[in-house]
Amino acid sequence: MRRRITPILLLLPALVFTLFVLVYPLVLNLANAFRQVSLIHGVGQWVGLKNFVRVMQDEVFWLSLKNSILYAGLGTILSMVFGLFAALLLNIKIGRITSVFKLIYTIPWVISPVVAGFAWKWILNDQSGLINHWLKQLGLISDNITWLGSADTALLCVIIARVWQFFPFAMVMFFAGLQAIPVEQYEAADVDGAKSLDKLFHITLPNLRTVTGVLLLLGLIWSFNDFNMVFVMTRGGPIQASMVLPVLVREYSFVQFNLGKGSALSILIFMVLFGLSLLYLKVYSRRESL
Amino acid sequence: MKKFGLILLMSLVAFGVLLPILWMFDTSLKTMIETAHLPPRWIAPEMSLQAYVDMFNFLPFARYTLSSLITASATTVLTLVIGSLAAFALSRFVFRGKHLFLLVMLLSQMLPGSSIIIPFFELIRDLRLFDTHVGLILVHSAVQLPFVIWLLYGFFRTIPQEVEDAALIDGCSRLEALFRVLLPLALPGLGATAIFAFLGSWNEFFFALILTSSDATQTIPVGIGLFVGEYLDVWNQMSAAAVLFSLPPLVLFLLVQRTFIKGLSAGAIK
Repeated sequence: MRRRITPILLLLPALVFTLFVLVYPLVLNLANAFRQVSLIHGVGQWVGLKNFVRVMQDEVFWLSLKNSILYAGLGTILSMVFGLFAALLLNIKIGRITSVFKLIYTIPWVISPVVAGFAWKWILNDQSGLINHWLKQLGLISDNITWLGSADTALLCVIIARVWQFFPFAMVMFFAGLQAIPVEQYEAADVDGAKSLDKLFHITLPNLRTVTGVLLLLGLIWSFNDFNMVFVMTRGGPIQASMVLPVLVREYSFVQFNLGKGSALSILIFMVLFGLSLLYLKVYSRRESL
Repeated sequence: MKKFGLILLMSLVAFGVLLPILWMFDTSLKTMIETAHLPPRWIAPEMSLQAYVDMFNFLPFARYTLSSLITASATTVLTLVIGSLAAFALSRFVFRGKHLFLLVMLLSQMLPGSSIIIPFFELIRDLRLFDTHVGLILVHSAVQLPFVIWLLYGFFRTIPQEVEDAALIDGCSRLEALFRVLLPLALPGLGATAIFAFLGSWNEFFFALILTSSDATQTIPVGIGLFVGEYLDVWNQMSAAAVLFSLPPLVLFLLVQRTFIKGLSAGAIK
């Protein structure tokens, strides 16, 4: 009997925290979404689906949804392309110097997203930014571009910063995947007289299928969730042109003080991500036994 | 020749990757007037560490640092204690619901911060912990814990059961075996996990932004994140603050880069 109790006792503190982080917020969120809840006036009456209807009627919601899909989709795919490129580059055996480069390429992933956003905001600055200066010197533009201040370019710039920050993760994952490919497969191809490109498309890339799946899902989930980059670089502006859903939750809840509407939106986000997460679990548990 | 070309290509990529950080560092050494100089230049006639001194007057940076240190250290200790107990149970006992618990741990790492922030906010407010270190520590710990358990579970599993069995035969209780045998053996893993937990809290922005409101409790990322763009002409001091704030993560990263990169490729790091 004692043996049965012990693991439960050991797990108890962790269970309490898990309830706090998982179950309680989700239940309360669900309750909030169907009520009138104001940051100032507190909990009001039940309003049925009204909060959801309000969210759906908001043009900014649809714009943010579009932006979020673009940010997560484009951000993830470009990160994977650059990550794969860097991993293939590092996988060429030219001595110990590659490990130094690998270290350097990982740095954007290590520094705080707030610092990353700040550094990009500064380098893209319209007046004294380095990017505008260089583009002018190259003769590509004649006037300074307000990269983060105009609706056409703001989201694109944030996506570039996100790719810069996220590609190291893809690189390290791809690199591990490359290391795991059996050498025999390449040797056999050499015997058959295969060219480098043949080997890339017929051995290397097919072997990276599982890693690609995991990366795609994780990238989509994390990028869809990401609040930091957009908030630090543009606050969702100019005039909400680069607004994404996580920033909109804050806007509804803590700027418009409408916690009910914020909860309704956060439940919509949760449903999208829960679907993606279940898909990830399926891929993950196939890859590794728990 | 081919090798030279490759190294050149890699160096170019490295420069591109480091560019925003290098420019930020360069800016932190300039005067405020120099940051507005046209055209922008890497080497200014007057370069100094003055911005690193001035920023302490401009931002309550010392207070932010204290808050960040308190929050990140307490989060590390709390998650490591709770996490070790849980990981011990998961790696050394057979019981019902174990598989489910592990799945929940994995799943809760995917949970969007924006979809749990409102309940967190209400709970913390109702507990009268809004704008306190304790409140932020609890939330950071709750968010970090699944990941810490997941990492420790991985480390504990690599230590053979036989080592503990020997201690049990010698008359140790299970808990004594945990503290006297398992934990000392898992020390490198514990150290790496501690660093992850510390950095997770140190770099965290979203929850800290919403759950604090005064200079005394706001952490460094909140200070930087809120002031970016608000005060347009202090780029040199903001850069200095950002550089100082980035030093601990970079140093810790260099210390544990092997484990870090291994952990990254295990798909476990956010």
